[in-house]
Amino acid sequence: MKPALLTRNFCIIAHVDHGKTTLSDRLLEYTSTISKRVMTDQHLDSMDLEKERGITIKMHPVTMNYPAQDGKIYTLNLMDTPGHVDFSYEVSRSLAACEGALLLIDAAQGVEAQTVANAHLAFAQGLKVIPVINKIDLPSANLELCMRQLEDILTIPAEEAILASGKSGIGILDILEAVVTRVPPPRWTDYPTTRMLVFDSKYDSYRGVISHVRVFSGTFKAGEMMMLMSSEQKSEIKEVGMFHPGMVKCRELGPGDVGYIVSNIKSVEEIKVGDTVTHANKPAADMLPGYKEVRPMVYCGLYPLESDDYEKLKVALGKLRLNDSSLIYQNESSVALGFGFRCGFLGLLHMEVVQERIRREYDVEIISTYPSVVYKVTKHGGDISEVDNPVNLPDPASILEISEPTIKASIHIPNEFLGDILTLVMEKRGSCEQTTTLDGSRVMLSCTLPLNEILVDFNDRLKSISRGYGSMDYELGDYRPSDLVKMEILVNGDPVDAFASIVHRSKAEGQGRALCEKLAEIIPSQMFKIAVQAAIGGKIIARANVREMRKDVTAKCYGGDISRKRKLLDKQKEGKKKMKQIGRVSIPPDAFIQVLKTNS
Amino acid sequence: MVQFPTAQEKAEPPLGLYVHVPFCATTCDFCAFYQTVPQGDAVARYLESVAAEARLVDWDGRRVATAFWGGGTPGLLRPRELALLGETMLVHCGGTPAEWSVELAPATVTADRLRVLKELGVTRLSLGVQSFQPGLLDALGRQHTAAQAYRAYELIRAQDFASVNLDLMFALPNQSDEEWRTDVTEAVRLAPDHLSTYCLTFEEDTALWVKLSQGKVKLDANKEADFYLRTWELLAAAGYAQYEVSNFARAGHTCRHNLNTWNMHEWVGLGPSAASQFGGWRSSNPANLELWLAETAAGRRAMSDRAELTNDLLAADSVIFGLRMNDGVSVPRLQRRFPTPRWKQAQNFFPQLLLEGLAVATPEGQLSLTPRGRLLADAVGAEILEAFAEPANAAAP
Repeated sequence: MKPALLTRNFCIIAHVDHGKTTLSDRLLEYTSTISKRVMTDQHLDSMDLEKERGITIKMHPVTMNYPAQDGKIYTLNLMDTPGHVDFSYEVSRSLAACEGALLLIDAAQGVEAQTVANAHLAFAQGLKVIPVINKIDLPSANLELCMRQLEDILTIPAEEAILASGKSGIGILDILEAVVTRVPPPRWTDYPTTRMLVFDSKYDSYRGVISHVRVFSGTFKAGEMMMLMSSEQKSEIKEVGMFHPGMVKCRELGPGDVGYIVSNIKSVEEIKVGDTVTHANKPAADMLPGYKEVRPMVYCGLYPLESDDYEKLKVALGKLRLNDSSLIYQNESSVALGFGFRCGFLGLLHMEVVQERIRREYDVEIISTYPSVVYKVTKHGGDISEVDNPVNLPDPASILEISEPTIKASIHIPNEFLGDILTLVMEKRGSCEQTTTLDGSRVMLSCTLPLNEILVDFNDRLKSISRGYGSMDYELGDYRPSDLVKMEILVNGDPVDAFASIVHRSKAEGQGRALCEKLAEIIPSQMFKIAVQAAIGGKIIARANVREMRKDVTAKCYGGDISRKRKLLDKQKEGKKKMKQIGRVSIPPDAFIQVLKTNS
Repeated sequence: MVQFPTAQEKAEPPLGLYVHVPFCATTCDFCAFYQTVPQGDAVARYLESVAAEARLVDWDGRRVATAFWGGGTPGLLRPRELALLGETMLVHCGGTPAEWSVELAPATVTADRLRVLKELGVTRLSLGVQSFQPGLLDALGRQHTAAQAYRAYELIRAQDFASVNLDLMFALPNQSDEEWRTDVTEAVRLAPDHLSTYCLTFEEDTALWVKLSQGKVKLDANKEADFYLRTWELLAAAGYAQYEVSNFARAGHTCRHNLNTWNMHEWVGLGPSAASQFGGWRSSNPANLELWLAETAAGRRAMSDRAELTNDLLAADSVIFGLRMNDGVSVPRLQRRFPTPRWKQAQNFFPQLLLEGLAVATPEGQLSLTPRGRLLADAVGAEILEAFAEPANAAAP
């Protein structure tokens, strides 16, 4: 076993598209961890969807051997971190498995909101941050600006920056040397008992759960009994190994090592990201810091477009959950949409990714209801409950107060869009606490916004107002009391559950009107006068009328036509059964889908 | 124009007789009725077979109150063939029917034919004019000209039939409001006793349907609704009272045969594709000349689309089809005629029609549709069918 002193654990943090994956690939190539011949571009991102969106969702650690200029051979463990705030807890656990981080900055783009957020996460974990200005060979590279931003925004001395280009291989050697010399050797190796951190788990249908781990102290071997400290669940270690970059079995994992373990554990829910593993016969006294239960922040209903696809959807969710314990779901049924599932996600991107994977990988067409955050409802008498589905909101008379989750957002935009963005923030019930000038042309806004308000179109609006130049990152803030009400949509007086939502009172009328008008337009013309209404606690706040049918009559109806006509009416009656019956209004199922589509 | 039952009807409900004459020289683009081009001895075999089919009916001594010859084009038969068909029919009627209608296409109207019909005792002629405008007649694929229509009407009037009807069509492809007004005015100028105005219907198995599905012709329910309302307005002003969605008459000239049908009385249908509602069953003959000939030869009739005339069925249909008439239906009278517990369900539904302004009701229980309701008679019918449907929980023990 190599002494821990010759191990360096690090990760790369960057904004989307700043070249993290390309740079990782160059490092693997340079250390001959993977030969150029078998190298497909962007080796670490394995899911198509990740490639398409240029984001990393799941982390794949890699162990490299690097003969440094000091003559020694170092073991470098590279952790690939997901690049989105939805996964910030997972990012933080990846960071916790490292002692250092490469902070990647696109030479042409400069520091972005996400870069700042991730840098702060790294500082908070006590990591040594090495700034790397990437893509310096781009004609539009602005080194001077990047250096100044480093000092002004991140308070990192500019001379620490390494100039690099993942694409052409510039600066790769400098980066590897900096990792060896600047990143400290593994910490907490002298803790008296064994401890390792779980930072990811994957499900393998042959071997069960494969957990990605970082050992801090002691050694772990196959055959030993281990214990998960959060649940005190015990299990036998079946196999230990490392990533070279594929999984390679080894005898043991020691202090500072990054690798994997296979145990008797059969589901990813049981072995949670951030948990500490110790020896069952001589357990550690304290867990590694930073563990918390991850809880979904955003909920929505997912329904199959074709009701026959219900089983397929159920299977798809089950399989996705095998590798993603942060996805939760349970049965739900809706009058309008039939049978489906209430699903919880870490955030919007997580929700989008899951929906997209269900469509693509499992070939199930789905429709999602309006997303909802988790509200805290305090009743008279002090009972507090959490509500993630408007349908479950208690009787308003029994409610003392509803609190909603907020976010702390940092928004980076070119100066000229400041006014419009502030207007957007106000419109979304946000407040701006601070405006920081990043350089001559860009500002950073620190804002607090209700999470609910950014669920649907905030990011799109931000991008369109700033012509694509704005970026945003956020962390979750506290819960704040707010004047929230449940808005119901009634068709001919009957509530339609799929459209119920919890909204701020000031927004109810506008949103209600828009929804009513859209729905009234989509529902086919009706024989009876049918109103679509938005209501708060029985009080109608908006209304639109469904178009009235003007003509539906057969011209010729004589003796020979009677049985034909009868058959036609019978057929019509059958057809009606396929429609969604809201009171006595028959609505084709795709009417709901169209409304929900236009609203998301 | 409430049709109070006569003393005889009270004693014995009126029986109708429909004879389908399946021959046409050509097929009109809009026509979905069964017809075929007469070839070889087809007409002779048809006439023999009508006689044979009539003998298969168990008339049980009932008198035929009304008769109706439709088609196809009954006028395509030669005068002596018409006479033969009439005599065949009369054998079973127990006397000349009080009302006897024959449909004629303008191109087939001749003095000879009319004389034969008059002598047989035909009381009512229906002339398929459709339009007086050459462009629209062409668009419909009709084989006559406006001049032929005028000439045919003159010949018919010369024979002094008790009632004459003209058929007109509206909402034709590209037809303007003005063109329709001209057609109606022209028809009114001829002063027929009865007018049937039909909104062009796109029926499956017609040339128009094919054009529609190819996108060559467009449907516009709003435009059709406007045409309907305009028609009702024009004809009311001209002294023709509407008594059904598509039918208008001067006092005393309603078509009894059709009224009896809508009132769910009985009729016997002879000839290919003819439907019957008789002897406890509703059923049809095959819509194919050769099949019908073979069935009749084998001693069978009215074997297709059989439905038993239960009170449940008749109760629903008497309302659905009865409401197409301006007078509507007398709910208490129908309840007595077709007693079933389902009236209770239906009566919970009727008030909704009133509330929505689709129908009105008298204190005596006469229920009728408003003009808006009449334009939606099919949608109303679907709701009524639903209201009369077997209760969903009926299967539960």
